[in-house]
Amino acid sequence: MKNSIRRIALAVTGVMAAAVLTACSGLSGLDVVGKDSVASFEKVLDAAPDKIKADEMNVGWSFSAPDDTVRFIWSENYSKSPLHDVMLEFDAKPFTDAGLDTSKLPENYAAYEGMLMVGTKLGDDDLKYSGNPTALAAYEQIVGKYRDSIGYHTALDHYNVNLGDGNLFEWAKDFAVNGTTKENQDKDIVFVLNPEPLVAAGVDPEKVEGWVYTTVSVDIDGRPTDVYKFLKPFNLR
Amino acid sequence: MESQVLSIRGMTCAACAQRIEKTVRKLSGIGQATVNLASEKLFVEYDTASLSIPVIKEAVTKIGYEVVEKTDNSRITIPIGGMTCAACAQRVEKAIKKLDGVASVSVNFATEKATVAYDPAKARVSTIKESIEKAGYKALEVSKTDAADEDRARKQKEIRTLWTKFIVSAVFSLPLLYIAMVPMIKVIRLPFPGGLDPMSYPLLYALAELLLVIPVIAVGYKFYTIGFKALWTRSPNMDSLIAIGTTAAVLYSIYNTWQIAYGEFAAVESLYFETAGVIITLILLGKSLEAVSKGRTSEAIKKLMGLAPKTAIVIQDGVEREIPIDEVEIGDIIAVKPGAKIPVDGTVVSGNTAIDESMLTGESMPVDKKAGDAVYAASLNTTGTMRFRAERIGADTVLAQIIKLVEDAQGSKAPIAQMADIVSGYFVPVVCVIALLSGIAWYFGTGGDLKFAVTIFISVLVIACPCALGLATPTAIMVGTGKGAENGILIKGGEALETAHKINTIVFDKTGTITEGKPTVTDVLTIDGGEGSFCGGGDSLLALTASAEKGSEHPLGQAIVIGAQDKGLELLPVDEFDSLTGRGIEAKIGGRTVLAGNRKLMDERNILLSGLTEASDKLAGEGKTPMYVAIDGVLEGIIAVADVVKQSSKAAIERLHKMGIEVAMITGDNAKTAAAIAKQVGIDRVLSEVLPQDKSNEVKKLQDEGRKTAMVGDGINDAPALAQADIGIAIGSGTDVAMESADIVLMRSDLMDVPTAINLSRATIRNIKQNLFWAFGYNVVGIPIAAGVLYLFGGPLLNPIFAAAAMSLSSVSVLTNALRLKRFKAKSQTSAPQSAALRSVEEGMGA
Repeated sequence: MKNSIRRIALAVTGVMAAAVLTACSGLSGLDVVGKDSVASFEKVLDAAPDKIKADEMNVGWSFSAPDDTVRFIWSENYSKSPLHDVMLEFDAKPFTDAGLDTSKLPENYAAYEGMLMVGTKLGDDDLKYSGNPTALAAYEQIVGKYRDSIGYHTALDHYNVNLGDGNLFEWAKDFAVNGTTKENQDKDIVFVLNPEPLVAAGVDPEKVEGWVYTTVSVDIDGRPTDVYKFLKPFNLR
Repeated sequence: MESQVLSIRGMTCAACAQRIEKTVRKLSGIGQATVNLASEKLFVEYDTASLSIPVIKEAVTKIGYEVVEKTDNSRITIPIGGMTCAACAQRVEKAIKKLDGVASVSVNFATEKATVAYDPAKARVSTIKESIEKAGYKALEVSKTDAADEDRARKQKEIRTLWTKFIVSAVFSLPLLYIAMVPMIKVIRLPFPGGLDPMSYPLLYALAELLLVIPVIAVGYKFYTIGFKALWTRSPNMDSLIAIGTTAAVLYSIYNTWQIAYGEFAAVESLYFETAGVIITLILLGKSLEAVSKGRTSEAIKKLMGLAPKTAIVIQDGVEREIPIDEVEIGDIIAVKPGAKIPVDGTVVSGNTAIDESMLTGESMPVDKKAGDAVYAASLNTTGTMRFRAERIGADTVLAQIIKLVEDAQGSKAPIAQMADIVSGYFVPVVCVIALLSGIAWYFGTGGDLKFAVTIFISVLVIACPCALGLATPTAIMVGTGKGAENGILIKGGEALETAHKINTIVFDKTGTITEGKPTVTDVLTIDGGEGSFCGGGDSLLALTASAEKGSEHPLGQAIVIGAQDKGLELLPVDEFDSLTGRGIEAKIGGRTVLAGNRKLMDERNILLSGLTEASDKLAGEGKTPMYVAIDGVLEGIIAVADVVKQSSKAAIERLHKMGIEVAMITGDNAKTAAAIAKQVGIDRVLSEVLPQDKSNEVKKLQDEGRKTAMVGDGINDAPALAQADIGIAIGSGTDVAMESADIVLMRSDLMDVPTAINLSRATIRNIKQNLFWAFGYNVVGIPIAAGVLYLFGGPLLNPIFAAAAMSLSSVSVLTNALRLKRFKAKSQTSAPQSAALRSVEEGMGA
């Protein structure tokens, strides 16, 4: 019996070690989501080249919604980005009209010239590039350095960049078909805001115009969870 | 025709048993082939001219099972002193090999030990030791392992292996189940490694599951080797279902892992690694529990096997020597001290003691033994020291015969098992077809949802349980017959057990069954002034009749002889003697012709009874048997003999009545005597003045009335009637004859064991029916649910994991139900108060 237990323990240790080694050493090779998200993000950029702009103020790049009411901004050098490394910038008006008191917003929010900015600092890395930094190369740095900020939502077949505190920038893996449901993909990109701090700052979510206030299933720690969100979905085609 | 029992290994369900039976029955020269799944035994009856055991073994091995020929060989290790080189070892080996009955011998010079496999019926340890000594070496103290010990050790090892496999499987399955399930749980948040987040790292997640399932599949490899082999030979069994189901799950998951690697991340939701892992784990758990429960079903036989002591104290040259039981020879004088067990069967030569024979007969009261009384192996000497002569040893002892009888019974099949056998034969292929059709139907019904179709396919395969069907009958029979043996009721097979529960009429033989069978003389009446030459009074009539009856073996005749001897009467020499079956005797003594017997005999010889008719009727009305005695053709008197009714008779008959059974009594006595006894004990129907050869006809008449009839007798003179009856019950003896002639043997003389045997049969059959109901019901309900019938109407869909759990539990529940029979309680007369009526009957008869 003692020998059996020893053999079991050895086998378990072996398999666990193999799992850990696989996870660590071959992470980049096995990280199909991270790798594929780069190609997918490139498709988003290619679908609306006129909406991509270098953002000098934030030392990075921005991708604007077709109606220019909201932008996704990502830094190309985290050691130099003044506010956040990844963030959304959007019109404050629909929210102030719905009762927002900007002074009550938490620290990850900033208000500037009628715009609100919400995002997160990924790090202080002085990012280096082989050539001139591009929008895609800056995104690749997120995947490479802060992979956990990139997510994938199976049900929607969407990738996302986690902007912290439940705020996301999402895009469809395939603009045509949802790979999970095999149905037509209804939206190409979605700007997602966590309503909780806004509501806490006086916003009546039902009165916010231009944003859809609804429950969505999001993955929190790998688990699908239903939560309320402000959504701004767009088709790029 | 010769019969043989072979042990079969590798069977997992009733389909396996069916396949072996079918294969063997196809062989030319086979008479009978029956497989008992629970005891893993194949019973074959075959014509030695056209078939042999190796051919049967080959046929069974060919279809994927291991055959172990049942051997009565014992194995012994004898330490040897005096060997100096390898040549010595060779020499010892040669010497032992020469002995008759030695199957194999291996002498190890390094360990200085000889390991010998031998047939104890042909070779004896003393002979083996003798041959070593003759070869010039010293045979030291021996240690012995017999076939039963080896079998027990093998089963224990099997259970240990199954548990180890289950533990290994569970160790890997639990984390597998955890990482598979936790991402789906919304209600509570359990800790989960971010690096395995199925959304963000689907390939890592899938590979981790794959890594965890590999060891589980490895420990469950037998399901695949046996299952696919059986499938290949077109005889799918339970392992085939597990193998197909889990292989489908694993292959589909590997395909989806490959899909993930190529960017189809949604495939992460179609991984079934945990299903395969948990199914194997649960089945291994079920098998482990099953093995433990199966072991418990044969506990009774193990208890019996463990009863005999390992050594005996033999008197050699006036000195007591303790020797291994195998070295005891017939004729040895054995000393048994208080508290020690009797090692072999024999006859007491000196000493008085009380022996507890409860382990053989179930009778709790110790039996007094004196010189000339028989003693049996495994019984316990309680009080005095005694010596006895060994008369039956080894496989010839009553204990060994009981063990063999119970083993044979446990290996037999009851007719009720036939339906389960037929269903089992078609079960697995039908389940495969249902699984396939359900999967295809749901695939098209859901518009091409392969994931859903696979779920249905796997669920149907793993929920189907042929094991429960296969175990339903044999396990109950094993426990039932074992329980019977514990209570001194030996049931000779499944068929007897099943028939006994249908009995609605029981015919009891009177003498020795309802009565003690030890009649005594109660009255001697003479005709004063008779016409004949005899006018010597009561004692003279008794002495003359006893002289005439000296040659008779009939209990009534012996009673008269004992009656005369008790009075100190001198018996006269007999010139001629003739036994007149069913009527009496005729003898010539000193020129006079003595005729003693019943009324029929007197009528045949035209002897007038007028003087004693009234007295005879009175005696008969009191339950006594009047024997007319005529000398030289003239009636001279009546000698009345009465037998004592057994304490348990009335209570047993009352109990049978309560069970709705009609009780009849069969006897050669005249109608009045028979009626009187019948009245005392509450018999419903009396069959009197029946000659021994007509007893079976009377039983047949009852059967012709449509009654299921059991005959209870002493198993010797009632043999034809016992054979004619639907169930023959031999009472009060463990003799060979009794064991041969009856379907049920009651080891003690307590008639309460008759209703107990019927009740045990009823309880066992009820248990079998419950088992079959659950086994059939489980599959009949489980398979449609797994196939999604409920889901079709808005009900739940069965997860394959739950299907596997249900499947494992079904076998365990059947076994657990069978084990409930162990709680069966026998009611004996010793616990029943003796009725006043019975006491008065005994007193009236001078008992």
